[in-house]
Amino acid sequence: MHIPDGFLSTNTWLASWAISVGGIGYSIKKTAGVLKDRMVPLMGVMSAFVFAAQMINFPVMGGTSGHLLGGVLAAVLLGPYAGALTLACVLIFQCLIFQDGGLTALGANVFNMAIAGTIGGYGIYSLIAEDRANEKRVLAGTAVAAWFSVVMASILCALELAISGTAPLGIVLPAMAGIHALIGIGEAIITVSIITVILKTRPDLIYRPQGTVTVSLSNRDSLSSLRQGLS
Amino acid sequence: MEHGFLDQYSNVGSFMNRLDPRIKVVSLLAFIVCVVSTDTAAFAAFALYGFILAVLTVLSRIPIGYILKRMLVAAPFILMTALFIPFLQGKTVVHAFALGPVTLTVTREGLLIFWNVLAKASLSLLCAILMTATTGFPELLKALEKLSCPQVVIMVLSFMYRYIFLVQDEFMKMQQAKESRSVGGPQWLHVRALAGMAGMLFIRSYERAESVYLAMCSRGFSGRIQTFHHFQVTMKDAAFLLTIFVSLIGVRFLSAIHG
Repeated sequence: MHIPDGFLSTNTWLASWAISVGGIGYSIKKTAGVLKDRMVPLMGVMSAFVFAAQMINFPVMGGTSGHLLGGVLAAVLLGPYAGALTLACVLIFQCLIFQDGGLTALGANVFNMAIAGTIGGYGIYSLIAEDRANEKRVLAGTAVAAWFSVVMASILCALELAISGTAPLGIVLPAMAGIHALIGIGEAIITVSIITVILKTRPDLIYRPQGTVTVSLSNRDSLSSLRQGLS
Repeated sequence: MEHGFLDQYSNVGSFMNRLDPRIKVVSLLAFIVCVVSTDTAAFAAFALYGFILAVLTVLSRIPIGYILKRMLVAAPFILMTALFIPFLQGKTVVHAFALGPVTLTVTREGLLIFWNVLAKASLSLLCAILMTATTGFPELLKALEKLSCPQVVIMVLSFMYRYIFLVQDEFMKMQQAKESRSVGGPQWLHVRALAGMAGMLFIRSYERAESVYLAMCSRGFSGRIQTFHHFQVTMKDAAFLLTIFVSLIGVRFLSAIHG
């Protein structure tokens, strides 16, 4: 879903750059306000983690495979703004090192996956999992949000291609959304499985907005809970 | 574990290696913006862009095979647009073929759109590969910082660059351990094991970030990273930038007159 250079019209890529710069700037402000000077090391290591987690491949159909996007995973663990920032850094890294996604298209890619996919996905997640102490709701919210984040990003990608005149909307939209509805299932399964493991071992690492009551670490012996999580 | 994907050709002593990274970043931006905004039908302009890149490829001393392999990242998107060609509506029909009950027509407009993305995506990709593969990532980041990218993003990226190897090593070790323990079965049955690995990877990364932060604090970290900048624009850099700009403006201007 990383759009290369040349697929977007000048108006589209300029506009998406402007939106993304604004969105990431806002996310930096929000994150820096909470994390202060620990922001840089945490975001750096977390970006490396999301990058490594994207190595998880799953088969889609006909020999094609999708890999984890990680937007909702990052948002559930780090919160919407730090999550968006993490994803944006991963996208910039991929653009600069692998040319996976073009330079002019970077704005659109950041908007689709880091802003809409992550912050939007977090919105859906927190609607369902309003009560973070309820494990079932957290997992259900994660599943729905993970699926939506992938499908939403693909729909936005299709719209951008259609607006640019690169592909007819009537075909690119169902094609992209259809394939990503399948990829989204893989994303949901993997994200939920990862969150399940973390809920069992370090539930304190699940992000909770400030002002809500933090649930204390479960008093189970950490080693036995670790074993449970991995069995 | 091997990480050959980074900085493989960033120090082979070619002309492109020795250029000031800032010059490379600015040239890359100028090139891509010019290419992307060129009129689709200006075929001569695209040939000239290609010529500029051919010269740069020779100057960079990067093997062609490596470049071609790297250029495959855009292939899925280019193929996808190729698939849409028969469905596009256009006036001038080039070719029509029957596919059961439906007739698919290949139009001039459809082919032009395909050519548009094919040419622009490959030229931009080639230029980006040449400029970034000949620059070490830390230098690239320093150049971006000098060109007034937000410092936070640069700092996060430089941390990411430092920890990507560690985190990936950890993941590959876990994967090796998993593979040596689990035999056979379809891949999707391994989802739980994979999730356990990713979950552990997150917890370990998080704890690593905490200890890195504490280590930084004890060394006097105050939220800003100070680095030395030893970039200096030489005559060679200036000449390179001038040549690139003049040729880009020339090509872009000529294509505008023709179009």
